[in-house]
Amino acid sequence: MTQAAGPDWLGGQEWIRLSPRMLLVHPVHEVLRQIPVLIGSLVLGSATGNPVWAVVGVGLIVGYGLARWFTTTYRIGSEEVQLRSGVLQRKVLSVPRNRIRSVSTDARLLHRVLGLTVLRVSTGQEAAGDTSFALDAVPAREVPALRATLLAESPAHIGPAGIGPAGTSGRVLARWQLSWLRYSPLTFTGLLMIAGTFGVLSQAGVLAALRDSRAVRAGTGLFEAMGAVGSFLVGAAVILTASVALSVSQSLLTYANLELRRDADLLHLSNGLLRVRESTFDMRRLRGGSLREPLLVRLFGGARLDAVMTGVAGVGEASQLLPPCPRRTAESVLADLISEPDAVTGAVTPHGSVATRRRWNRAMALPAVVALVLVVLTATVGAPAWTWPALAVLVLFSAFLAVDRSRSLGHRVGGGWLVARAGSLVRRRDCVSAAGIVGWTVRQTVLQRRAGVATLIAATAAGVKRYEVIDVPADLAWSMAAVTSPWVGATRWARNQPDFQLRSP
Amino acid sequence: MDLDEPTHRPSPKAPMVWALGAAIPWLFLVVAQAVWFAVDPRPTWLHVLALLGTVLGIVVFVVVVPLWRYRVHRWDVDPTAVYTRSGWLTQERRIAPISRVQTVDTHRGPLDRVFGLANVTVTTASSAGAVRIVALDADVADRVVSRLTDIAALGGEDAT
Repeated sequence: MTQAAGPDWLGGQEWIRLSPRMLLVHPVHEVLRQIPVLIGSLVLGSATGNPVWAVVGVGLIVGYGLARWFTTTYRIGSEEVQLRSGVLQRKVLSVPRNRIRSVSTDARLLHRVLGLTVLRVSTGQEAAGDTSFALDAVPAREVPALRATLLAESPAHIGPAGIGPAGTSGRVLARWQLSWLRYSPLTFTGLLMIAGTFGVLSQAGVLAALRDSRAVRAGTGLFEAMGAVGSFLVGAAVILTASVALSVSQSLLTYANLELRRDADLLHLSNGLLRVRESTFDMRRLRGGSLREPLLVRLFGGARLDAVMTGVAGVGEASQLLPPCPRRTAESVLADLISEPDAVTGAVTPHGSVATRRRWNRAMALPAVVALVLVVLTATVGAPAWTWPALAVLVLFSAFLAVDRSRSLGHRVGGGWLVARAGSLVRRRDCVSAAGIVGWTVRQTVLQRRAGVATLIAATAAGVKRYEVIDVPADLAWSMAAVTSPWVGATRWARNQPDFQLRSP
Repeated sequence: MDLDEPTHRPSPKAPMVWALGAAIPWLFLVVAQAVWFAVDPRPTWLHVLALLGTVLGIVVFVVVVPLWRYRVHRWDVDPTAVYTRSGWLTQERRIAPISRVQTVDTHRGPLDRVFGLANVTVTTASSAGAVRIVALDADVADRVVSRLTDIAALGGEDAT
């Protein structure tokens, strides 16, 4: 993605404005974004007894919102697409059309009411914030045509039948089902939302204002009647219920109409009840997938699926294909995408006793330190009695982590795929295609050298860029690399003797 | 299967240049401690302790680490791949196919220029896949770069 002064060599192409309906949206968004300024001008207005300040504040903000529409234009040239924007500081963003890898749309509630959609173009480069190419916003009905035009020059284009109007053609790989909701109470979304709300309320002084209200006084009386334990239990139950309700409704609103559709070399993902998002991925950029199983989701047989794709960030919303769903669904979708069922469900080779011992050492390090501190404290100033049962719980949990991590750890090579599985709290199985691997690293710390194990790292341009296979036996590391990428075995340094003991120091 | 170690060492001047590079920040610390001693010479044990720490740091980072790194560092280029070994406590061997190389850069810091050294960085499409050949004699570095750019069809496919 390059930024340059708008060249006129394209010629003949019109600069197009965004939808005029944005004249309604921009001021509203601007006002929402500038709430601090607005509060400032209101305060200034009431302090000076002159309401003109508040009017001026609102006027400036609305004016800026309007100016954004007048100053933003785009055009789709034969070689590149350009976006001109900026009220005070003008800038032109140019994207070569043959570099466009994916086109996604995003419509928040206000946009949807007005029939608008934000259209984002992404290239192989990583772009964020100012450098991302976003048309905010175009009429929703123009989106299929725009999408087809924008993708027409990209490698994603595969003949006239390749890009149908979005939402019609192709084969559905997965569709959201009501049963997927059972995984959503198991996330911390709700708790985070509650904590966030409390934080904002206490910052704004609302809690302090409520303290003297009649409702709160009645509540305090009730809590006193119930006693400490009773109040704690009731409070916990209320927060838990609210958290579950929030998580479930959030996941319902985000995913309830999720649909993953494959259309030859294009992958369409659409979801969202209120805020509708739709992404189109170029399947030729797909280099594999990651199945992620957070512990609580895994307990109920669930998993989430991320794409390993060049031009798409490896973590977060951008790469997520499926939210927590039954593992079989995630597995079958991934197997379908990469046409390699063995990589997705095949058994993995464990890394052996040394790796297991290292998992135990690591998991037990924290309890050991805590125990040492407790012993010292008991010997000197004394420690509260409850700390010892707490330590026992910690030891049990750490032992569970060690067992689970050792069991998770495994790899699978061959057939042109590298599969690495690891982790306990968030277990993940990364399947990376050998075609996407552009380098190998074998790394050994001092302890790993002494234990005779190594970490094998596959470098790729896709996903999170580095995929690690931890604590494989040192003499196996390069074989795994060579089985996956035959070019490693074809180099001058490759040696097929099994007696790795004789290696020169 | 296993990979042999890469054959070539960095320039023999490498340990000295690394040592000098590491010595400069430590010198500042020594000067700071001298000033502190001149201004406020008591308590003596604190100064002795600080001095011991500094001496230990200098011995490890200015003497031991450069020599250790020189023993570990190796590099090699064959018609299909570039291969390095690097590190000291944590050591790694990294290999990248030349067909997937995107850029070949030479970097020379002030000390490198004084001693006629150069560092070559070979980047691929992955941020985790850059291969660095450090502390080469400048003429060796030039030859490596021209050889790599000759082999690599730079600018051909996008190598992702």
